[in-house]
Parts: sequence; structure tokens; C-alpha cells
Amino acid sequence: MTEPRLSEEIRKMESEYEPLLPVERKLIWYTFGVGVVLLVLLVMVSRAFA
Amino acid sequence: MATLVEAPVKHAPPSPPETAAQAPPPGMSEDWLAVCIGLFVFVLSLGLLFGKDILGWAVTTSVWTVPAKALAPASKNYSGLSPFVSLLGTFVFLLVILSIGAKALRADLKRFAAGFTVVFALSYLCWFIGSWAYVAATPDKRQALKIGWSLNLTNESGFIIALLAGLVVGNFLPGVSRFLKEATRPELYIKTAIVILGGFLGIAALEQRALATSVMFRGACAIVEAYLIYWPIVYFVSRRYFGFSREWAAPLASGISICGVSAAIATGSAIKARPIVPIMVSSLVVIFAVVELIFLPFLAQHFLYGQPMVAGAWMGLAVKTDGAAVASGAITDSLIRAKALAVTGIAYQSGWIMGVSTTVKVFIDIFIGVWAFILAWVWSAKIEHRQGEKVRAVQIWQRFPKFILGYVATFFIVLALGAALPALVPKIKASMAQANVFRALFFVMTFFAIGILSNFRKLWQEGIAKLAAVYVLCLFGYIIWIGLFISWLFFHGVLPPVVKG
Repeated sequence: MTEPRLSEEIRKMESEYEPLLPVERKLIWYTFGVGVVLLVLLVMVSRAFA
Repeated sequence: MATLVEAPVKHAPPSPPETAAQAPPPGMSEDWLAVCIGLFVFVLSLGLLFGKDILGWAVTTSVWTVPAKALAPASKNYSGLSPFVSLLGTFVFLLVILSIGAKALRADLKRFAAGFTVVFALSYLCWFIGSWAYVAATPDKRQALKIGWSLNLTNESGFIIALLAGLVVGNFLPGVSRFLKEATRPELYIKTAIVILGGFLGIAALEQRALATSVMFRGACAIVEAYLIYWPIVYFVSRRYFGFSREWAAPLASGISICGVSAAIATGSAIKARPIVPIMVSSLVVIFAVVELIFLPFLAQHFLYGQPMVAGAWMGLAVKTDGAAVASGAITDSLIRAKALAVTGIAYQSGWIMGVSTTVKVFIDIFIGVWAFILAWVWSAKIEHRQGEKVRAVQIWQRFPKFILGYVATFFIVLALGAALPALVPKIKASMAQANVFRALFFVMTFFAIGILSNFRKLWQEGIAKLAAVYVLCLFGYIIWIGLFISWLFFHGVLPPVVKG
């Protein structure tokens, strides 16, 4: 079996667009939110113990 | 790319015994091999603690104006040895241990030995050229070398020269590139170098324990950024604005935001993407790592010579792939120390900036398995609703980059030995200096091999433009700058120790 070329893959993706599912949106925003909150906390901790 | 990209973990059921008997058994992984080779060099170097100078014959290359005076054995105990014999011995030693390793990997031994001979010779030539005084000398050394000017690039410029030489081979000499394929193993070389580097950084930590602890804590914080801040943005941009499918967007997000090749492969495997997906993403990661490797250390030298540790962390966060990140840390280390000395007169101890890059990268690597596990669960249970499928915790261990165990082992062995027996510290230092000779050689071969694998033309023919567009937008649009901001948040004001005397 021959491997698909990337250009064909891109064409296929353009014709068969997969919309963002609610669960993907959740994954994106929860991850980002937790990241920002943790970042603030860790900066405070590192300043406190520096 | 096959040599750079490890085969994705298969989810197929195990073969029946009769089929398994026909197929050749799988070879050792490059990760474990790197641990074995790195520890072997490390243990041999520790011979000095018992009065045995086992590696003192290894060749070192000084900054030179007269080529004949550039090479010398690492130890004074071998000062009578001809530099040429020292170089030959170093090559034979590496050829033997790496050939044994190649056999363990089930590589074609003859092709590996032939390829490695050329890789070593060309890499060393680049290192040698990079050590020419007019290229490498720092301002404080010019008088001693009797030269009026120099590019002030330090002998680490040999890495850049090796990278450029590899790019020429990879892009314009396809026949040579194919001939070298079996020995073009940047991941093996850099992982071995990182295992050896652990001992070298252990010495630094021994002398500055409070600073080392602080660096490790701040490095651990960096993982938050890579996984939780970078990943969702890249995933969102590639899905929402570039229309990539989930199968492509997830490995792409991991490749761009976490740790290049290994993260793309682990993610591809976790979400059960076809093998072509992580392979294409990995190819792109390597190409852009080369671009970053060429520019970012010089940018850091220009703007961050007053904040060396920020620069080190930035390399660890912004440059993808272990090889390129640690290597860019090494170049940044030299460039910044040279500039700080020239501009401010401060001579920082070597290794600390590279140490920060390595620490950040290692912490990021450690969690690849955990991240792949989380994505596997989300995809299996929430996105694709695969009935009856269980995501097992053992996958975390399967994805764990094992070479880190070697790095941790050498780091803590040196730390424990030095803390328990302070009188031995000078000998441990000398041991690590000898092991460091091999670390530098593995580094320069990594650069050369990365160059060979970066075939820009082939990727363009594959239609990589759209994938590259996401990469350019995310990497240069915000990953590099957020990385710089967060590096500054955690590391500004933290300075490496200054050389005394």
C-alpha cells in the first residue's frame, strides 16, 4: 500500500472539514485556563522562595 | 526521516508464537542504548577516582592559530601521545561502542560503520574549523593567541558549521546522504550526550546547591507553559483557522508546543493517527528546529547577555527537539559568556546556561507520557467513543523517554559522591572533564546529523506549505515570545556563578 501524500491529505481535509466539537472546545479552554492559573501560582511560589 | 523518527507504538495484538519466531526480534530502543553508552563513558571516566586514567587519551581541540597545535590528549598523563594517535584512538573507541550499539539496534553493521566513519570525520573537521582562533577566540584570549580580531563565536561555532555541512549533504548530495543514513542518528547522539551531561551538571550543582535547586524548581514550572498554554492554542489555531482534522491537529500541536519529534509520535500513537501524520509533523519539527538553532542563540546573545539564565530557559522552551534545544543551549552558553565578558567584564562559569536549557527540556520530556495518556483517554472516551477500550496507565511508562533515567543517574551519582566525600571533588571534576570530551563529540555529530535529515526540498515537494504555515504562525507568532516572557518571569535576576580569580 502506498503512503498518502501530504498534498492529497490537505485537499481531503479542505473538502471534509471536521467542525470543533464541544468536547474539543472544553479541552482547549480548560487546559489553557488551568495553565494560566498554575502559571500565576508558580510565579508567586518561586518569588516567595527565591 | 526514518532514522530520526522512532516507530510509533503499535496497538495491534501480539503475534502468535510461530509468527514471532519467523520475524527478527525487535532491537533495543535508542533511548536505552543512549543510557548504556552514556553510562559506560561516565563509569570509565570515574576511573580517575581509583587512580586509573582510562579516558585520558581522548582527543581535545583547543582554539588554534597553528593547526598542528590544536589537538592534544585530554590528560597530562598521556602528554607523550601523538595528537593524531589520540584522535584515531577516540574515533576507534566511538566506532567500537557505537557499532556494538548498532548491532543492538539491529542496524546494518557494515553500513553503520562506513557511515559513522564519514559522520565522525566530517563532524570533527567542522569542530576543528570552528576552533580556528579567528572564528572562536573571545576578546580576553586574543592577546595570548597574538591575533588582532576574531568573530568571538567560541569553539562551539563548530556546531553551526557542522549543521551547515549537514544541510549541504542532506539537500544537495542525496547519494552521500543515503550512504550515511544508517549512522545519521541525531536522537541517539544527543541522548547519549545528555546522559554524560548529567554528571557535568552534577558538578555544577555540587558547587552551587542553592542555585541548582532554584534552577530545577523553575525548570519544573516551565512544563506548565509547554503543555497547558502552548498546546491548546496551537490545537485551536490549526483546527479553527487552518481547517486541519483532529488526526493532524493534535500531533501538530504536540510537535510545535512540547518537544518536537517524540511528542508528535507519542500523541499520534495516543490518538491512533496513521503513521504518516507524526512522521510528516516530525519532519517539519526538525526543519524549524534548525532554523531556530541558527537564529535564536544569536538573538539571545544580542539582547539577553545581561540575563543569561533567562536565555538558557528560553532555548529550552522555544527550540523543539532535544538535540536542537540542548545544542542551542550550548551555543547560547558560549555566546553569552563571551559577550558578557567583552561588554561588562564579567566572566560567568560555563555550563550554567546550557544546564538551564537542559533542565527545562528534561522536565518537559518527563511528562510526554502523561500527556499522551491524557490525550488517549480524551480521544477514546470523549471524542471517538471507542466502546470497550481501556487506556492503561502502563502507557505512561511506555512513552517515558528512558534516556532521562541515565541523565538523572549521572547527575545524582556525582552529587552524592561529592557530598559524601568532599575530598574527592577535584578528582570528580577531572573525571567529568574527560567525559565531557565525548559529550562535545556527540554534540557535534548531532548537529551534522540534524543537518543531513533536514531535507527542505523533499518536504516542499510533499506539499508541506500549509503545515509549515501553522508552524510559522504559532512558533514565530507567539511560542517563542511567550517562552521568552515566561523564562523572564521565572529566571530574571538569577545569574550564573562568576569565575573566581
